[in-house]
Amino acid sequence: MRKALVAIFLVMVVVFAMGFKVIMVTDIGGLGDKSFNDGTWEGALIAAKEIGAEAQVIQSYEQADYIPNLTKAAQQADVVFAVGFMMTDALFKVAKQFPNTYFVGIDITPPEGQTLPNVVCYIFKEEQAGFYAGYIGAAMTATGKIGFVGGIPIPPVERFRYGFEAGAKIYSTLHKKKVEVLKGYTNDFEDPKKGKDLTLAQYAQGADIVFLAAGACGNGGIEAAKEKMVALVGSDKLADIIDYYMKNKKGYFAIGVDVDQDYMAPGVVLCSATKGISTAAYYGVKAAWEGTFEGGLQVLGIKEDGAGVSPMKYTKGMVPNSVIAEVAYLTKLVKDGKLVIPDTEDALKAFQVPSITFPF
Amino acid sequence: MNNRLWAFLVPIISVIMALLISSVVILLIGQDPIVAYAALFKGAFGSKLAIASVIIKTTPLILTGLAVGFGFRAGLFNIGAEGQMVMGAMIATAFAINVAWMPAVLAIPLTMVVGMAAGAGYAAIAGVLKAKTGAHEVVTTIMLNWIAEYLSSYVVTVPMGVGFGTPKSPEIANSAKLPPLMTVQATELTSGIIVAVIAAVVIYIVLEKTTKGYELKGTGFNPYAAEYGGIKISQNIVLAMAISGALSGLAGTLEVMGVHHRFLGTLSGGKGFDGISIALIGQNNPIGIIFAALLMGSLRTGSNEMQFVGVPKHIILIVQAIIIFLVAADRIVRTILIRKKRVKAS
Repeated sequence: MRKALVAIFLVMVVVFAMGFKVIMVTDIGGLGDKSFNDGTWEGALIAAKEIGAEAQVIQSYEQADYIPNLTKAAQQADVVFAVGFMMTDALFKVAKQFPNTYFVGIDITPPEGQTLPNVVCYIFKEEQAGFYAGYIGAAMTATGKIGFVGGIPIPPVERFRYGFEAGAKIYSTLHKKKVEVLKGYTNDFEDPKKGKDLTLAQYAQGADIVFLAAGACGNGGIEAAKEKMVALVGSDKLADIIDYYMKNKKGYFAIGVDVDQDYMAPGVVLCSATKGISTAAYYGVKAAWEGTFEGGLQVLGIKEDGAGVSPMKYTKGMVPNSVIAEVAYLTKLVKDGKLVIPDTEDALKAFQVPSITFPF
Repeated sequence: MNNRLWAFLVPIISVIMALLISSVVILLIGQDPIVAYAALFKGAFGSKLAIASVIIKTTPLILTGLAVGFGFRAGLFNIGAEGQMVMGAMIATAFAINVAWMPAVLAIPLTMVVGMAAGAGYAAIAGVLKAKTGAHEVVTTIMLNWIAEYLSSYVVTVPMGVGFGTPKSPEIANSAKLPPLMTVQATELTSGIIVAVIAAVVIYIVLEKTTKGYELKGTGFNPYAAEYGGIKISQNIVLAMAISGALSGLAGTLEVMGVHHRFLGTLSGGKGFDGISIALIGQNNPIGIIFAALLMGSLRTGSNEMQFVGVPKHIILIVQAIIIFLVAADRIVRTILIRKKRVKAS
């Protein structure tokens, strides 16, 4: 009898799992952006594999595709992912129609006053990730100028910038090094050419490190950095780049965004300001599967693994140990709430670097 | 065979050939073309939602196709449909936000007129430049596209921007919204399609049945001969650009009034450029353009469904590219057809 029950239970679990389907709808950036679409997909896949669910991805051509794609996905799936800030309105319109389907919005803030029990939204404290980019950039610049290349100036991009400027200011105040921040926007998240042009323009204005918070546009910026660096060093080998840098203490660098992009040009991408996108996607699926799903907004920062910096696999040798130790100490201060990175324009303007003494 | 039949046959045969060639690509990526095309068809016509989505996508494409096609007939290559669409949509939105006090019978046509006027005015800049200085419209309209794009992303983030989420303007007044023909879940099928079809018919009549249309076509065929015949070339260039721009402006305006109900920075999404290929497939004939736009709209809508059976949407870009290639190089199709006939005859 017990055996039969166990067997029935197992069959039910398997059948249930087979029926569980996760569909992710990308924004117009699409898969292959090496940024948040890819990051979400990675997290969704890991979770789907773990619970034996089926996972599928649907890409959108244009803004008018969001509603039909989300609708079709909701008709078939148990968990639907909407990725990217631009899908906010479509997500909430569709989710209202399908109260029995779970929706996970990545990088989406619910419109004022709208929370649905079947929609969880994850956003990130980009300013805390941007802070790393600013701090490390300011520490490493040889020209005293670092650049910021944003996509469309929407809040997540702007938060990266606030953190970036604050990070640079913290370094410059603590070490009395003059650091200027150049700013520019591509007004686009898709076209790498625009990212490349703007990055080259900032190099021409004297920056030697450019932070690319511009989705797939950033890939062009990394290409620009690589071209400049290779022209300078005369080789694209990591060892040669490190040798050149250690000897001359100069070079052209890019800073990646959203996910660890260091691998895209080893030695040229100094570090990446990362968001816990795949972590969020993973938790979204798991919560729906385990029945602990709760609608609302979740803000993930350094403390919740929602913001961070890449492990700098290739560039660790170039970044002085003291900088790495300082970053680790500041991380702890942010976690403890002793250092607050500004997350609005006003907060950035009012931002004063607190007196920090490193215990070393 | 006469030319009319050719104009009709070439696009159809091109579509069939494009689907056949693309099926090889689908086979190469290890998928079944029959399954893929079945999903494509189902995704475009298999449900109310699908049909509604096709019509929504087709509406602006008809208008941008007309805009470019009309330009071609008058000897102008208007690459600026994208920018004119954005300007039309943006200015129409600025107007439509403030017309809550107007009844819909007034607000709807007036908003359309404002949008068309904005598109027309913007395109006329390129027209005047060409007529006065000889600056080529290809260059000037491309430049104007960028101005429109950056201006719109500024407008939508700073002076007109509201709320969180997508950079967007406030919602337009209810009286300026187009009434939906039907509502399927969150998708509203707007009556914009009716306006678009009417526009196509009007353009057809203007081109084929009026003196002005004859003048415009004359300017396109041979400006020197036209001028010799007493047609004012520079006036006609500006007028043709303005009409072309008005159509693009209307495309953007209908997107605002019917689909998004507000202005979005990325509203045009390349539809102005799609107009070029649609005009080509429709052989610059207003009625042909309706069908070309419908073809493009259904391919795109269907391709979303195709993704559910594991075929990437990019296949449809291949289909599209092959169609355009074959239509543009219609001699290839003609040669194949004629050869077949000869073989049969012998």
